[in-house]
Amino acid sequence: MNFSPVHFIAVPLFAAFLIPIVGRFSKEAVKLIPGLVLLYLSYVAISLYPIALQKPIVEIIAGFKPPFGISLYFGPLAAFLVTMVMLIGLVIWLYSYKFIIREPLEKYYMLFMLVIAGATGIMITGDIFNMFVFLEITSIAAYSLTAFLRDKDGAEAAFKYLLIGSFSSTFYLLAVMLIYANTGTLNIADIAAKMQTVPNQPKIFIMILFLVGFGIESELFPLNGWAPDAYSQAPSPIGGVFGGIVVKASTYAMMRFAFVLFNFHSMFELILVLGVITMLIAEMSAMRQQQIKRMLAFSSIGQMGLIMIAFGVGTDASVRAALFQVFNHAVIKTLLFLAAGYLVFHSGSKKISALDGLGHNKPITSFFFALGALAIIGLPPFSGFWSKLYILTSVAKGGFLASVVLILFSGIIEAIYYLRVVGRLYFKKDVSQDNVRRTPISGLVAMGILAVVILYVGLYPHQIIDLIKPAAHDLVDKAAYIKYGLLH
Amino acid sequence: MIYYITAILLILIGMYAVLTKKNIIKIVIGLSIVDSGVNLLLISIGYIKNGTAPIFSVKGLTPDKMVDPVPQALVLTAIVIGLGVTAVALSLVIRLYDHHKTLNIDKIRKLKW
Repeated sequence: MNFSPVHFIAVPLFAAFLIPIVGRFSKEAVKLIPGLVLLYLSYVAISLYPIALQKPIVEIIAGFKPPFGISLYFGPLAAFLVTMVMLIGLVIWLYSYKFIIREPLEKYYMLFMLVIAGATGIMITGDIFNMFVFLEITSIAAYSLTAFLRDKDGAEAAFKYLLIGSFSSTFYLLAVMLIYANTGTLNIADIAAKMQTVPNQPKIFIMILFLVGFGIESELFPLNGWAPDAYSQAPSPIGGVFGGIVVKASTYAMMRFAFVLFNFHSMFELILVLGVITMLIAEMSAMRQQQIKRMLAFSSIGQMGLIMIAFGVGTDASVRAALFQVFNHAVIKTLLFLAAGYLVFHSGSKKISALDGLGHNKPITSFFFALGALAIIGLPPFSGFWSKLYILTSVAKGGFLASVVLILFSGIIEAIYYLRVVGRLYFKKDVSQDNVRRTPISGLVAMGILAVVILYVGLYPHQIIDLIKPAAHDLVDKAAYIKYGLLH
Repeated sequence: MIYYITAILLILIGMYAVLTKKNIIKIVIGLSIVDSGVNLLLISIGYIKNGTAPIFSVKGLTPDKMVDPVPQALVLTAIVIGLGVTAVALSLVIRLYDHHKTLNIDKIRKLKW
């Protein structure tokens, strides 16, 4: 069959608007549609992958050739990230199948589809204004999902997220405008080709606007105030969506712009410093948290800081390490959020202290949580070990020894607060009375898939590295991006 | 030049409202003022004095008399998006009011980071 990258945007968007109509007739169909869509898109992503590895697929929309029309750029990096998003989306759907039982189901799945469409749109579009549109689709859906539970704190978290998020999009739009005023084009590859003619002063201005715009969505300090609230107030699978999909999309955008548009060194150093600060502050805040989902949210911010550090070093090896960490963080943090969702459900409280002894009562869910915790700390033989090792070696090779020390230091903090939770699960007396409710099979299968991925990647890291190498090359190699993006 | 100054002034007024006002409806209004400012700024980039629509079949119309249509297309999209964001924001305000019975943001802040 003849697939095209347009499917990644069109199919979930279509499904999102189909779901409310179908919901009038059948609730079961509402639950099934997202799964079918994600299954289909995973298939499309995997079958397009080898083609994208040979030569990036540039899809022309409506017959206007780049740089005039909007084009989609599906290179090795986009293929890697989109496949990741689709598979994680599939797992989250499987988990939601029995977890989200509260009405309105249609709205939940509709917004979920919109997040998928928006995030993949950000990853594959070749046009900066189009990216703005997708950024807004993603964020509006994310605001609404944060408030999905209709409780007091959910509305507050969503409002806070919305305020910060609209600042992000305003800054991004200003950056788009300045770029258009200076280069007269909106196509990313074309801008990249014309960027050296732009004088330095507006360039720095644009860079800062971009950094603020995407820094908010990718949880950079000090722009990440929305994250802990949104993560902890949204339904648990949505925590996985934020950590595994939304944040990854804006990280991608930031990195693409950093490498393609502003290839000067101070930008990378700025990202590195911001990454270090983000990581340290987030890990220390995570230490103080009393609620498990807030702790996971801060840990997620800390991991983003780590990813930014690796990107900020800017060498080939460190970009590879960063992409590896992007993958690992998406998988592991999703597993942690999914497991924490049922732990919170069983203990009846979001507090860490309520988890005492749950390891005896709910062994499988607790086991998955413990596995995720050990993986994210970076213990062998899990996948987190390799990416952390690669980050450390590449940062050290880049000559940033102070950062290495700080990464190790924050790794220790991370180990303390994760092991504290795991210790409570297993080495405290069982206080919970919940012997009736069991974790549904669909939830266990979803977590099981992620756990298997973590173990598999941990044991055979080279398979995933083989995929990351061309992806990292796609990100770093500006000339090739311009060449393919403009269809030369 | 006057267009740029006005638009930037609007953005600043909106940001001032968002950052200092206590009433959440006023904050939402501030957000949409910022939006309008950005939109005006975008429009004024493509504007030419005494310019007209870029229709190439009109005789005697040279490109230096044509207004750039791309920013206008962008602004149309941005207006719609801004409307969507404002609608979501106002619906959240309604829900906040239902829960807290107040619109004062200082009394709503329970979550902190």
